[in-house]
Parts: sequence; structure tokens; C-alpha cells
Amino acid sequence: MDIRLLRASDIPHVQQTNITNLPENYFLKYYLYHALSWPQLSYVAVDLSHTPKHPNEPPKIVGYVLAKMEEEPADGVQHGHITSLSVMRTHRRLGLADKLMRQSQKAMVESFGAKYVSLHVRVSNKAALHLYRDTLQFEVEKVEPKYYADGEDAYSMKKDLSFLEEEVEEDDEVGACCDHDHGDGHHHHHHAELDGDVPPPKEREKLKTVRVGRILGVSDLQEVDGRSGGA
Amino acid sequence: MPTSQPLASKDASLFRQVLKCYEQKQYKKGLKTCEQILRKNPKHGETLAMKGLITNSLGKTEEAFAIAKDALRQDMKSHVCWHVYGLLYRSEKNFEESIKAYKMALRFEPDSQQILRDLALLQIQMRNYDGYVETRKSILQTRPQLRQNWTAVAIAYHLAGQLDEAEKVLIKYEETIQGNVPKWDIEHWETALYKNRIIADSGDIGRALEHLESMAKNCLDKVALLELRAEYLLKLGRKEEAQQAYRILLDRNPERRDYYAELEKAMGIAPKNRHEAKAIYDEYANKFERSDAPRRIPLDFLEGDEFREAANAYLSAKLKKGVPSTFANIKALYADDAKRQTIFELVNSYNEAQEQGKENGETNGSGPSQFRLWTLYFLAQHYDHYRTRNMDKALECLNKALKLAPNTVEFHMTTARVYKHAGDLQKAAQKMDEARILDKSDRYINTKTAKYQLRNDQNEDALKTMSLFTRNEANGGPLGDLLEMQCVWYVAEDAESYMRQNLLSLALKRYQSLWEIFEVWTEDQFDFHSFSLRKGQIRAYIDMLKWEDSLRSHPMFVRAALGAIGAYIKLADMPCLAQGALANGDAARYEKMTDAERKRALKKAKKDAQKAQERAAALAAAKKDDKNKNAQVAEGEVKKEDPDPHGIALARTETPLEEAAKWLKPLLEMSPERLEAQIAGFEVQIRRRQWTLALNCLNKARELATPEDPRVHEMVVRLRHAVNTLPAEEEFKAPETREALLEEVEKILSKDTELSAYNDEFLEKNKDSAAHVRSALRIRSVLKPEAKKDMSPLLSVLDIESTTLDEANEGLKLLYSFGVDENGYKTKAAAKFPLAKVFKGAK
Repeated sequence: MDIRLLRASDIPHVQQTNITNLPENYFLKYYLYHALSWPQLSYVAVDLSHTPKHPNEPPKIVGYVLAKMEEEPADGVQHGHITSLSVMRTHRRLGLADKLMRQSQKAMVESFGAKYVSLHVRVSNKAALHLYRDTLQFEVEKVEPKYYADGEDAYSMKKDLSFLEEEVEEDDEVGACCDHDHGDGHHHHHHAELDGDVPPPKEREKLKTVRVGRILGVSDLQEVDGRSGGA
Repeated sequence: MPTSQPLASKDASLFRQVLKCYEQKQYKKGLKTCEQILRKNPKHGETLAMKGLITNSLGKTEEAFAIAKDALRQDMKSHVCWHVYGLLYRSEKNFEESIKAYKMALRFEPDSQQILRDLALLQIQMRNYDGYVETRKSILQTRPQLRQNWTAVAIAYHLAGQLDEAEKVLIKYEETIQGNVPKWDIEHWETALYKNRIIADSGDIGRALEHLESMAKNCLDKVALLELRAEYLLKLGRKEEAQQAYRILLDRNPERRDYYAELEKAMGIAPKNRHEAKAIYDEYANKFERSDAPRRIPLDFLEGDEFREAANAYLSAKLKKGVPSTFANIKALYADDAKRQTIFELVNSYNEAQEQGKENGETNGSGPSQFRLWTLYFLAQHYDHYRTRNMDKALECLNKALKLAPNTVEFHMTTARVYKHAGDLQKAAQKMDEARILDKSDRYINTKTAKYQLRNDQNEDALKTMSLFTRNEANGGPLGDLLEMQCVWYVAEDAESYMRQNLLSLALKRYQSLWEIFEVWTEDQFDFHSFSLRKGQIRAYIDMLKWEDSLRSHPMFVRAALGAIGAYIKLADMPCLAQGALANGDAARYEKMTDAERKRALKKAKKDAQKAQERAAALAAAKKDDKNKNAQVAEGEVKKEDPDPHGIALARTETPLEEAAKWLKPLLEMSPERLEAQIAGFEVQIRRRQWTLALNCLNKARELATPEDPRVHEMVVRLRHAVNTLPAEEEFKAPETREALLEEVEKILSKDTELSAYNDEFLEKNKDSAAHVRSALRIRSVLKPEAKKDMSPLLSVLDIESTTLDEANEGLKLLYSFGVDENGYKTKAAAKFPLAKVFKGAK
């Protein structure tokens, strides 16, 4: 197994892993949007069990975390958000979800000053709830009614990241960091079926607000371009 | 902006309204307003242009172009008219014409930010780097106050290969920065890292390291900072420091394989002496209690007793914890005979001890231990591995495990897999479905079931299975959703299944969908050319461009291209297949059939195809009602109905080889190192009588393969044979000449070679290899069609112990393609592979 940062060339494979494991799926462009907006935050777990037959052989991605920063946080506090996290059923109990999350969370704090990280999980997804609450120390903040496209409610969960902030400061002083393995040696992880996140329609809507939509850049014919931003 | 046709102030305000309507996609209102202006000013070019633009958005492209041309006729000097003309071409993806139109627009409005930006977007999309440099420089001149405009020029120079110019531009901007840069100025610190990459790319690693350290304190991307630092130190030979740097990285992420590999390099450990690195791995294994990498990696290089000890620790810990992927984690070691044996002995000894424990009266009421279950599971996978396959033992282990824990999905899944490997695809799909029912909320097992159903050619069942997790109200039902969500594995498996059934129209339809998905993925980068400049994550953007450049080297594209080319070649060889599926043997016999037989076969094929299509249509219609209820189509936007949902028109192409050539081009461009690609190229070009192109593919294939490769042998003899029998009137297009061709082919195989004897010799020499035998027989059928009937070498292959199910299946396919009686072969193969479905039903 190899835990590493997601690369552009991984994206189609991450997309396949997602649609293999989870009901919430996204276009390739939405993965690109993550990778090109917050390239430090998304990680993949790659299975290395066989030697590649040819140089372009795809990485076998058995787990990933697709993460972002909240663009306009309602509470005004910088925070990260887990868009989707999943581990193949065949690769459970290796602690992959925890390892992926740890890398992502550290980067949220270091690269973007995140104070906490949030995510959504289907209320019916007991395995995912168990993972997030008991293994990854998230807390249920509230229930968001009818959050998913099919009408199901979501738990809105969050986890404070200030413990990582202290670590970052320490790093700066000594130039190295220690093992921050915390808790959980004893849990059996039941995470294969970790939930993805936001229902596709909502996400697509968001895409438009950041103007990655495929529709033409409208304001072309007039010099009233909002995009030149502040010029 | 000045135009040759100024409007009265009321109309001018109406015109602004049109622009707004377009922007807000109120197309109908926009059109109405256009008409309102045109009533008073029927020849107003810019209004006409806008009318054309809106008309295009409503899906009437042809009409739109006519209006836009009229607009230009009325007002040749309006940048708006030219810009719209460019936009129309852009929406048609005719980027070259679009660029021309934008350039005309810029003649009349040289400083228009919007037009310059649109032009720049197309230039970078087309990878016209020189043009991009020029346009970005113009943009910078008009808006130098924006940092992104400077960065963009640097990117342009960087991509154009002018690294020093790129760096100069970045420095020039940096010099204008006054005071301290805020801590969270992401754009600034990212641009600094980008500059660092440019310095490193220019080859001056020392300077890159110096620059990196100057910004180390503030850099926000700590991982990049640490990785680059370690990389530079290693490259500079500062090994002590490099070791330290990789240790810092490992403390952050002890599961990163590359860090260990680089650390070994920094320690000066030779690949042959990796044993010296053991202490490092022990250290990290102790430091990180839950880490896998430092425990697993030493298994790659330890030998003998040390290996046994480490493997024992690794395997028993994983199995006791109940890790299902334990076998997958060590599978790579199976290539080593001794290690494979040791691993088996270890796990088998766990099993024996456990069985012993049972005899000594264990059950204390708590049920089976994880260790017991997953040891059995491991052994089942061991017996299912192709190097150590023993189906009976595999099933025995699984049955034992299932008795202890009947609802464990993994045990059912692997049972299905064992049946798949034995060739009983029906039972495999059935077993997988049983596993699915145990955990219906798990999409993974649902996916597996659908895949197994497709392998068994249950296309409808597979779609039904998939539909339990798709948005079925989507346009086109579950399949529509899968296509929209770019679920390429499913589309490819579906295509391959239709290929097996000789339903070429549906197969081509699926391949076409894959082609289109790759088109979308190419198109997807478009918006990021501007988006990434605003976001400022430049390194990620450059990485994305590089990835897009090689997008079609993606294994899925290769797979689709090879499949589609195969389908078109079949169509070229047997045009009757365009009519629908002919049962496997019928396709080959078709040429020899009597008219009445042909009629009957075709009629049946047509009927079968029709039935399949009707079923597909009914399925789609059933979902349509749902769709109508839920569909939300933006005002005026036109959903284009698919005029050829079943690929009938695709299969009826008059020029299958030209269609194949379309796939071949990107395949050969992006994956020239793939032997299969060169073979596909040869097959297409030799049929197109493009001798030189076929020769090129052959020569590339000879570089890639060993001289004894059967496929190379086949191509060599076929080309030689084709050249020997070239008619005198064969035309050659310059610069190709008959003489040059003959000369080149002569270099490969002399014209004096007696081909039949040469081929027989090849067969005799390689009669123990299934692939060689098939190639030789195929050649024989070309040289001496009457020799087709002697299939004894093919049957002999079945006597060889090591012949696999796949090989045997390929042999059967060869018989089908020759139209030779296959019953004797089937009987013999069925004895060797009793569960394999394909050999059933010999008469």
C-alpha cells in the first residue's frame, strides 16, 4: 500500500473507485475542480500488489479522500470539508481511511489555516457513522433534513483541528514532527462503505458559482467583466 | 464601442438588454428584444450577430451561422460581429476558424480584454504556445496591475520552453511587491513554489535549493517544500542532509513508499544489498505501531530464515486482525518460488494448528476467531492463484469458512471468483449475486455482481443490478446516468460483451460513448485555463495540462480503441455482420453458405438484433415517465435526442476501415510502445492497402517484441505474401513507391522464402505454445486455404498441462473463424476444463 497525494493522472481512477463504492458520484471535472483548487488536500491509497506489465498501467486505487476548503464559510471560520472518502471493501481493516484523513487534515491546517473539518453522512449509513465518530473523532453537529437527492437526511459532522495547529508550530521550531498517532489502536474498522458527500445536483450548482461551468463566458460582448476582479 | 452603425439611444438600451438576456440565458426574451431592434434597424449587424448567438444557444446551429454571416455582411468592421462568429465556431469546436475570427475582431478592437482572453483560451487549449505568449503579453500590457496576468505570461514562456524568460517575468513582478507579504497570501507563496520549479527545470538544482530555503519559513505547502528539499539534496549528493530530509517526511507519512526508496538511495544502499536497510524498516515499524509499509517492504528483499520470520510476523498479525486483503498484500511475492512456498507453509501451519485445536475440543461459545476465518480465506485465495490453482481445495476452504460464518460477503465473493476462473461464468454471476443480497446497501458488491453478469453476457441483468444505485430518472434511464457519470468500466465491459455476441452495432455504440467521454475529458480542461489563474494553484494547473496532453494513453482508451478497431475490422471482413449478430460459427461459414442458408441466417440475425433492441427500448421507455416527471430543462435549451441509440447506423458504415483509422490515430500517437496497438495498426493498414503504414507498424512491433513472437511472425509472413502477390496495376501514392516497399520488405524476409515451408518450420518449432500454433494455423489458412481442415496441432495443444482456459478458448475462436467443425475440439477441451461454459454442448 502507498498513501500519497492525488495527482491529475489519478483522477479517472479515483472516479472509478468512487462509482464502484458509493452512490454519490461526480463528473471528472468536479474532481479536477478539487485538484486544481486545493491540490494539497486530496490523497489516494494505491495497491502495489502486482508489478506493472507496461509503463502506462493505471494505479490501482483502493481508497481516496477528496477534500476541499469551504469557499464561503457561513460562520466565517476557515475550515475544510470532506467531499468524498471511500475504501474498497477488499481493503478494509487496514486503517486506510484514518491514514488518508490524517494527511488531508494536516494539509488543511498548514496550507489553508483550517480550524476544523466538516462532512456529511447519510443517517442510514451506520458503518460510516461509526468510522467518523468513533475512529476519526468527529462529532455530530446537527441533522440536515433531506440533504441527499433521494430525500434522505444527513448528519452534519465536524472535527476540531486545533490540535494540529500546535503541531505545526512545533514543526516550525524543530523542523521535524513526532508521531501523532492518537487513540484507536483497538478499534476494528468497518469502513469500506464510507459515505460520499453532497448530492450531485447541489455540487453542480456550486460549480457554476465558481464559473467552471461549460457555458460561455457571457459577459464577452461588454466590458463589464466581473472576473477581472478588483482591477 | 464605436461601430459603423450607431443606434438611437432607446435602441441602444434595448441592445444592452439583449446582452443581459443572453448572459442570464433568457434566450426567448433576448430573441424578442433583437426583433424589436431589427424592426427599426433591419440591417443592424451587431443585433443580427446577437440574434445568431442566441439562436445557436437554442440548438439551431445552421440557422445561427447563416444569421451571423449576414451580420458580418452588414457590418464587416464590428468586433462584435467577428467575436460572435468566433464564438459560434468555438461552440462547434472548430478552434482554428474561431481563432481566425477572434483575430479579425481584435483588428477592430485591439484592447478588448474579453476577446484577448477568449483568444488566449483557445491558443492554450490548442497548445499553440507561441501564440499564447503573444496574446498573454498583450493582456499584460493592458492590465499590468493584476498579478495573474504576470503569472500567465510566465506560464506561457514556461510551456513554450523559454524557462529563463518565464523566470524573468516572475522576478519582475516580485520586484514591485512592497512591504511584507501576508501569511495567508496563497497566490504569492504558490507562485514562489512555481518559480522554484522553473529554476529546477532549468537544471540548476543548487540555485533551486537556495531559492527554496529562502522561502522555507513562509511556504504554505509544507509537503511540497519538504519533498523538493529532500529531492534537491539527494540530487546534489548531500546525502547526510538528504537522509535527514527523508526522515522528516517519513515521520509525517510512514506509508509513502517513495520516501523509503529515496532514503535507501541517500544511505547509499545498492539494490543488491537491500538487506542493509533492514534496520531502518525495523526502526519505523517500532515507531509507528499501525504502519504497514515498514513491515511489508522488507519482505521484498529478505531471504531464507529471515524472510520466514518476518513473513510469519506479518501474516499472523494481519490474519489475527482479520484483514481481508492479506493475500493481496503479499501476492506480488508469489513470483518468487521459495517465498511462495514459505508463505504457503506458514499459513498452512496456522490452519493445521487451528484444526488441531478444534479436535482438542475448542468451541468455548464465542464463535470462530478472526484468525481461523481469515486463515481459511487466505488459503482459498492461495488455491485460486494462477500459480497454485486447485479449484477443489479453494472451494473446500471457502465452504469451511462459510460454515463458520455464513454471512461473510467476502467468502461468497471469492467463491464466485473461483467459478469464474474455472470458466463457469453462469455460476460465478449467480454466486456473486448471492453475495450481493447479503449486503444490499454496499455498492461495491453490487458493482462486482454487475461485472460478473456482463462477463456472462447478461447485459440486461447487469443494467438492472446497476440501476439499484443509479439515478434512474436521468435522461436515458440507468444507462444514461452511467454514461453521464462517466462510468467507463461498465461501458467497456458492456461493449466487450456485445462483441462476444457479435452484436457489433451495440458494441460500436458503447465504444462511441467511450470516445465521447474522452472528448469531454479533453474539453474539461478548458475552463481551468482561466480558473486556475484566478485560484493561483499554478503547479497543479501545469500538471493537469501535462496529464491532458497524454490523456489518450489512458489504459481505458487503449482498451476501447483496440475493441472498436477490432469491431470495424470484423465489419470489413464480414459485412454481413452489420445486419446483426450471426451465431459464432455462422459468421465464418457465411461465405460458403447457399443463398437459402444465407437468407435464413440473416433473417435470424436480424430478428435477434431487433429483439435485443426492442428490449433495450422498452427498458428505456419504462424509465422515461420517471424522467419526464423530474426533468428540469433550462428554458429553451434543447435536449438532442439520440438518433441512433442502438448503433445501427454506426454498424452500417460504408467505410469501416476509415472509421477504424480514426481510432488508430490517437492510439498510435499516445501508445506507440504497446505491441497490441502496432498490431491493430498493421491489421487496419494492410486492409486499407496502405503498405508503407502497415510496414511501419510491423517494424515498430519487431522492436517491441522478441523475434519469436507469434504475432510478429504472422505479420511478417502476411506482408511478405501480400507484397509477393501485388497486382501490376497496384497504385502507389508518392512518396511511396513499389521499389522502396519491396526493398524494405526484403530486409525483413527475403522474397525467395518459400512461405509455406517457412511457416511449417515455425509451427514445428513452437508446437508446444498455444499462441504460436494459432498464428501458424492462421498463416497456413492464408497460404493454403485447403489446409484449414487439419486442426490437429490445435488439439495437441490441449494435451499440454500448462495450457490455460484462456488459451483453450482462443483456440475455439480460431475454429469458429475458420468455419471448421469444432465439436471434436470442444469435447476434448471440456474434458480438460469440465466447468467451462464455452466448451459445453459439443455434438
